[in-house]
Amino acid sequence: MKEFMMIFTGADYADLGLSPEDLQNRMGKWFAWGNKMENAGILRGGNALNPNMRRIVGENRTVTDLTSTEVKEIVGGYYLVEAKDFDAVEKIAQDFPDYDLGGTVEIREVMVFDK
Amino acid sequence: MENKIIDHLFRHHSGKMVSVLTRIFGLDNLDIIEDAVQDTFIKASISWRQQLPDNPQAWLTQAAKNRVLDIFRKLKAEKKHLPNFKQGIDEITINDLFLDNEIEDAQLRMIFTACHPKLNSRDRISFALKTVSGFSTKEIATALLTKEDSIKKRLTRARKAIQESKLQFNIPQGKALPERLESVMEVLYLIFNEGFHSNKKEELIRKELCAEAMRLCKMLLKNEHTRSAACYALFALMCFHSARLDSKTNADNEILDLKTQDRKLWCSSLIELGNTIMYKAVEEDSYSCYHYEAAIAAEHLKASSFEKTNWKKILNWYECLNEIQPMPSHLLTMAVVCLQVKDYNNAIIYLNQISPKDFEQRAYLYYGTLSDYYSATNNFQKAINNIDLALEIVNNTLEKEYLEKKKLDLLLN
Repeated sequence: MKEFMMIFTGADYADLGLSPEDLQNRMGKWFAWGNKMENAGILRGGNALNPNMRRIVGENRTVTDLTSTEVKEIVGGYYLVEAKDFDAVEKIAQDFPDYDLGGTVEIREVMVFDK
Repeated sequence: MENKIIDHLFRHHSGKMVSVLTRIFGLDNLDIIEDAVQDTFIKASISWRQQLPDNPQAWLTQAAKNRVLDIFRKLKAEKKHLPNFKQGIDEITINDLFLDNEIEDAQLRMIFTACHPKLNSRDRISFALKTVSGFSTKEIATALLTKEDSIKKRLTRARKAIQESKLQFNIPQGKALPERLESVMEVLYLIFNEGFHSNKKEELIRKELCAEAMRLCKMLLKNEHTRSAACYALFALMCFHSARLDSKTNADNEILDLKTQDRKLWCSSLIELGNTIMYKAVEEDSYSCYHYEAAIAAEHLKASSFEKTNWKKILNWYECLNEIQPMPSHLLTMAVVCLQVKDYNNAIIYLNQISPKDFEQRAYLYYGTLSDYYSATNNFQKAINNIDLALEIVNNTLEKEYLEKKKLDLLLN
C-alpha cells in the first residue's frame, strides 16, 4: 500500500454566491465522502485551509498577503489516503463534491525514502 | 448524518439569523448582516465536513451571536450609525433576543417588512424569499421562472423602498394590523401559487415554495396577535392544494386536470389537517376570500371521482367568492362549472360578462372555455375557431399540447 494526497483547488465557496441550501447539501456530500473513506479504513488525514495566505518569494524574501480573489487556483484543502495505485485513488476522487463548481482534484503520491 | 441535520436547516436558520441581527442593528445595515450570515454558513459547511457539532442549531446560533461583535466592529470602522447599546440593548438583551420566541418575533417583523405596502408588490415576494426564507437570488429566479438579473433588480428596489420610506422593523399594532396582515397573506398566497402551478422540470424548488409559504403562514398562526380567521382559512387552503401536488403531473410530465388525476395519490393527512384548521377558520362569522377558496378546494377533495363532484355547491362558493372579490377569472371558472353540469344557458351568461382582454396574456383560457361551450352546443366550426385563437397566444408548451390535443379531438368529430 502507498500513501497519496488528494489536493483540492478552485471552487472557493466564498466567491460563488452559494445559497444556504447549497452549502448544506455540499457539506452533506463532503461528510458522506469522508465517512466512506473512513469506513473503508483508507483515510490517513486531511484538512481544509483558510483562503487568506501570506506568500514569501525570491531571494529578498518578498512578503505579500493575498486573498482568494487574487490567486487563481487556490488550494482549499487536502486528504491523505492509503491506496494501491493512482487508479484506486482516481476512483476514490469520483466522490469529490465540487467538480460542478470548477473544483479540481490533484492526486500526488507521497514519496517514500529508503530507511 | 441524515438523522442529525434537519432538512433545510441552513436555509431556515439563515432567515432566523438575518431577522434577529436586523432587530439588533436595524434595516439600514441589512447588507452587512446578510454578508455576515452568509459567512457563517460557509464556515459551517467547511468545518462540519469532517465532524458535525453535537448540536448544529446551537452552533449556528452561537455563531450568529459572535457575528454581532464582528458587525459592531465593522460598523465602527465604517463610521456608520451604531445602534445605541446603552439605550435598551445590552449584552444580556442580545442573549435574550436569540431565545426561540424572540427569534420568531424577529422573523414576523421581517415578514411584515417584506410585505409592506410601500414595496412594489412584485418585489415583496423576492425580498421575502431572500430575507425571511434564506433563498439565494438564483434559487428565487428558478422558482419564479425569472432571470437572476431581474430578481437582483427587485431586491435592490425593495431595499431602496425600505430605506426611503424609513420603515420600522416591527409588527404593526392596532388599526394598522389588519390591513398589513392582509398584505402579508396575499404575498404568502402568491408564493404558494407560484409553487403550486409547476411541472416536473422545476418540481423540487417549486414544491419548496409551497412548503415555505405554509411555514410562514404557520408562523402567523402561532402568534396570538397575528392569527386570524382569514389566516386559518389561508392555511387550510394551502393544505388542500398541497394534498394534490403529487397527482398534478404524470410520469411524462403532462399536466393532469382534476378529471384525470389519480385520486388515490391525494395526501389524506394534509386533507385532514386542512379540515381541522378549517373548523378554526369558521369560528368567526365573517368570511374572507380564502374561506371560499378553501371551501371550493375541499369540495373537490370530497368527491370520490370527478363525476361525483358536487358542482352545485362549488358554483355556490364561487358566487360568494365573486361577490366579495369580483374577478373575471371567477366568472370564467363559473362558466366552466356550468359547462360541466351541462347548464349551457348559464355558461354563456357568465362568458358574456367577460372578454379576452380581461385575461391579458392568459386570454387562451377564455378562448379555450368558449371553444368548449361551442363544442358542447354542437357548433364545431366556432369551437375550432376559438381553439385556434387560444393556440395563437399560448406560451407554455404543456398547455399548448393540451390545447392541440383538444383541437385534434374536435377535428375528428
